[in-house]
Parts: sequence; structure tokens; C-alpha cells
Amino acid sequence: MFEGLEQINWGIIAPLIVIQLILMVIALVDWSKREVTNGPKWLWLLIIIFVTTLGPIFYFIFGRRDD
Amino acid sequence: MTLLAVKDLTKTYGSHTAVKHVSFELTKGKCIALLGPNGAGKTTILRMLAGLLAPSTGSITFSGYKPNQDIRKEIGYLPQYPAFHSWMTGREFLIYSGQLHSLSKKEALEKADLLLKKTGIYEARHKRIHTYSGGMKQRLGIAQAIIHQPKLLMLDEPVSSLDPIGRRDVLTLMEELKENMTILFSTHILSDADEISDELLLLKQGHLLESGPINDLRKKYQTAMIELQFTGDIALYEQKLLELPSVTNVINKRDVLHISVTDVEQARDEVIQKAALELWPITQLTMNHSTLEDLFMKVMTK
Amino acid sequence: MRQWYTIFQKEMLENWRNFKWVWVPLVILLLSIMDPITTYYMPEILDAVGNLPEGAVFKMPTPSPVESIMMSLSQLNTLGVLVIILMSMQTITGEIKSGVSEIILVKPVSYSNYVTAKWASFILISLASLFVGLIGSWYYTNLLFGDLNFIDLLKVFAFYSLWFMFIISLSIFFNTIVKSQGIILFLTIVVVMALNLLTSVLGKYFNWSPSQLSQHIEDMLLTNHISTDLIMSAIITIAASLLLLIGSITFFQSKKIVE
Repeated sequence: MFEGLEQINWGIIAPLIVIQLILMVIALVDWSKREVTNGPKWLWLLIIIFVTTLGPIFYFIFGRRDD
Repeated sequence: MTLLAVKDLTKTYGSHTAVKHVSFELTKGKCIALLGPNGAGKTTILRMLAGLLAPSTGSITFSGYKPNQDIRKEIGYLPQYPAFHSWMTGREFLIYSGQLHSLSKKEALEKADLLLKKTGIYEARHKRIHTYSGGMKQRLGIAQAIIHQPKLLMLDEPVSSLDPIGRRDVLTLMEELKENMTILFSTHILSDADEISDELLLLKQGHLLESGPINDLRKKYQTAMIELQFTGDIALYEQKLLELPSVTNVINKRDVLHISVTDVEQARDEVIQKAALELWPITQLTMNHSTLEDLFMKVMTK
Repeated sequence: MRQWYTIFQKEMLENWRNFKWVWVPLVILLLSIMDPITTYYMPEILDAVGNLPEGAVFKMPTPSPVESIMMSLSQLNTLGVLVIILMSMQTITGEIKSGVSEIILVKPVSYSNYVTAKWASFILISLASLFVGLIGSWYYTNLLFGDLNFIDLLKVFAFYSLWFMFIISLSIFFNTIVKSQGIILFLTIVVVMALNLLTSVLGKYFNWSPSQLSQHIEDMLLTNHISTDLIMSAIITIAASLLLLIGSITFFQSKKIVE
């Protein structure tokens, strides 16, 4: 369906993937260290993993509780 | 020698006056308890002394300073519910506290380790504060308050939230600190005040009811009393006792009659005569003086 | 000065431990590169979605390098500003709310040290993030749309960073007069939007407004000349930020520290 797939220019796409991965990993690291979050903790795990890009960002802005 | 003089201190929030025309002096080297029930204005007074709240009227004068001058350098303060930067380790927080008091990094580091040992949380020094228990936080709170060796240490309800062991530890620590600094602490528990303080400030609904060395107050409010115990229905005798000339008051506490009297010997004779005449089933008669607790109750209800 | 540095260091450590030093630059980077990439792939995306009639040729003008950079700035002007406010909106109120300020400000901490050290630490994160974002934007611009002089990029950074400094100053200012984070967020956004609106409606009188900075930056890139308007906007932005900072210190000093 996406015919251009094999010609994808990795110089363009790779940085995007790397950024998303870093965001997800540090969100997970923070999530695992934290005992309480704003809202149910397991829900944030799902959001971080399954909501691409925005999930980790929302977690940092709204999920973590500064104590 | 007076370390701090408070004159006519008043704090008003809108229509509510939390502290009303309070005046007292703190003597250097003493341990002073600010004693009163909840809502008496203890925290408000401490916060004003610490410079966290501006008094509505009145003055606070620290020895060597002008009235109401910034004295934060000279004091250490522990709030009732201390909050820390809980993402720091205990040691980091102490070093930070020391540096804010313009100690050099090296001095702050040495003092921090010393105090961590003294307060018994050295083992946990590299742990984040959010993992500390209530007792550990209280000790860290005391450590951060004394890292600059303040002349006056103020503690707001330092033991009221602790379990018996934590409470014992903190009281022992305060006992030690008394040697080096003037301590002002608030409490609503008389026995804590009685245990380590030299002087009392009794507070109720924003008024300072009574103040002075604890022994003077004890003498001032000391009244003679007699305690009587009976077999059988004790209530029968209350009214009869009140009719005796030397008896001023009778209180029934757990089947023991506490009898306040004007003259203890005369009252004893009157009681014995009456008892012999009417064959009262007395099991025990004790001559006694009122305790500090009676004083507390008396002052608080007056 | 030593105390200022102590507080500044504490802020830096805090923002490292709560990962602000990681996620804010990454989010700003994503925002900066998003539009150049989607614009480049727009024909393929439309093609793949397949809504175009058979044989239709969809032609879009390829943006120039300057347009590409300006797309990045336009994202930063909206979502970027939002991120900067979100990251800084609780720096002072948060500490008052949790009660830490009671234990900290009872020490002989100078109120101006406290406020300015926080201000500086957040400006540092914002500028580092902006730099990362602009480098990303520059990379994609060169890759997809043609060369842009690196010196030009540095000029963009130099002037646009003033806008971020202004936003941080606003956020810190509201931190010292309002208690609720939500209200701080709201007020800061309202001020930024009002400024944008006034600038677009009364452009004649607001030509030197801080929100005109990106317009003047675009002119600078197109004409290769730093206009008086740009300089004046920059000066006004710096002055406004400093005034806000002085206002913050004054308000903070006069305020009750405990609730």
C-alpha cells in the first residue's frame, strides 16, 4: 500500500524514531521509580507505551507528581 | 539575660485574631515550652518569630538587633509538618541547608555528616528523602535547623506526630541540644513540656495566660488536697464533704474523691471526725499537692 | 553571589533528576522538525491516503529554506510556548504548596537570589532546548529544501531566544502572585495571546512588541539585514523581561510565604 516504503530515506526518519524511543525509555525509567502518579499508575504505563510520542510527553507534564 | 523580647504581639486574619497582645521574653540558655491546646496560636507565634509571617502589631526584638529586624541568621526552625525537597538525599539536603546559611561547601559537608551521625540517620544519608519514615524526617528536620548553630532553635510540635520510640529519641536529642542553645518548642502535651522545659508559656485562644519558670508556676498554683477512697457508692459523700468548712471543691476521678481544701491539716481532722461519726467506709486517705496537670487544667479553663 | 549559585545548582540538579533536561529539549526538537518533514512528505501522504482521483497530479510548491525554518518557529510560537510554560508553571507555587518554602525561606535566603536563580535555570533549559530544536530544523532544511547558512541559524537563535526568555519571565512573574498552577498557565497564555492579537490588529503601534520578533526574524533572513525594528523589538523584549523579573522579586518579598 505504501509503495515508497523501500525507498524511505533513513536520514529523515531515523532521528524521529530515536527521539521517540528516548522519550519512551526515560518516561518508563521515571515511571518505574515513582510510587504514586496523578491517576492510576498502570494506566500511565499503557499511555507511555501505546500512545506514540504524546504518551511520554503527557506523562512528564501531567502524570508525575513532584513531591 | 534576655535573648528575645516579644512585645504586644498581635496577628489578625480578616476578622479572626489568632494571637492577641502577647508579650514575653526568652531567657538565654533556657528551654521554653509554648503550651496550649490546638488553635491556641502557637504555630502563628512561631511563624512570626521565624519571620514567615508579618505581625499585625507588636514587636519582636532579638538581642543585638533592632525590633522586627531580619533575624533568620540567628534562628533554626522546624515546622510542624516539615516538607523537604524529597528528590534529594538526606545528606544533599543538609549540605544545601548549610550552604544557604553561607557555610562553604566543605564546612557544610563536614557539619552534615556530623549531624547525620548525631541524629541517627547516617545509614540512610544516601537515600532519597521520599523514602524516609516520619521519625527520620523529623530528625532530618532538626538537623537542618541546627546546621548553622543557631542561637535560638524553634520547634513546632516536634514530637506530637511520632510513635513512642521516635518521641523518646527526639526528646533525648533536645535534652542534648539544650546545653548549646536556647530552645523554644510548642506542644499541646503537658508531660512533654514538663519533661524537658525550664519555662512555660501557657497559651489559650491567642492569649498568653501564664508564663514563667516551671517551678515557680508549680508553687504558685500548688494547692493542698486530700484524696479519699471508699467502698460502696462514693457519690453519697460528695455533698457531705462540701459542707465541711475547709473544703473548697470535690472532684470525682475514677472513684477517688479529690478534695481541694484551704488548710490541709484542719481539713483532715474535719474529714476524720465526720467519718468516725457517720461510720464512712473509708479505705484510703492521702494528703497531697496538686500536680502540674491540675495547673494545666486550671489555667486552661480559667 | 555564592548563595545564588547554590540555589542555581540545586535547580539544575532538580531539573536533571526530574528529566526536564531530557524531555523538554526532545519535545522542542520534535516540534521544530515536525512541519518540515510532514511538508516534505505531503505528496506521498496524500497519495497513500488515496483520496485523489486516478491520474490526478498533486503539485505542491517546495518551500524555501527560509520558509522551512519559519515553519519551525511557527510551531514553537504555539506549542513550544505552551511547553515552556508547562515546565515552569509550578516552580515557586509548587514549593509553597508542598511546604518546602517554609523550611527554605526561614533560612537567610535572599528573595532576589531565590527568584532569579530559578529564572536563570529555566532560561538555560529553554535556550538549550531551542538550540537543539533549531539545529534539528536546520538539519532537515538542508536535507530536504536547500542550504541555509549556519550563521543565519545562529542569528535566528540569538533573537528568538529572547522570546523564550520573555515567556519564562511571564511565567515566573505569575508564579509570585498567584497560587494555583492552572491560573498561572491560564494567565500566561492569555497575556501571550492578547499580545499576539494586539500586535496583529494594531500592528502599526505594536511593531516593536515581543511577539513581532519572529516576523522581524523572517525579514532578516529574507533581506539578510538586521532591521532597526528587529533591534527595537529585541530591546523591548529584554526590558519587559527584566521589568517582569523585578516585579516578581517585589511581589515575592511582600507576600506571605506560608498559607
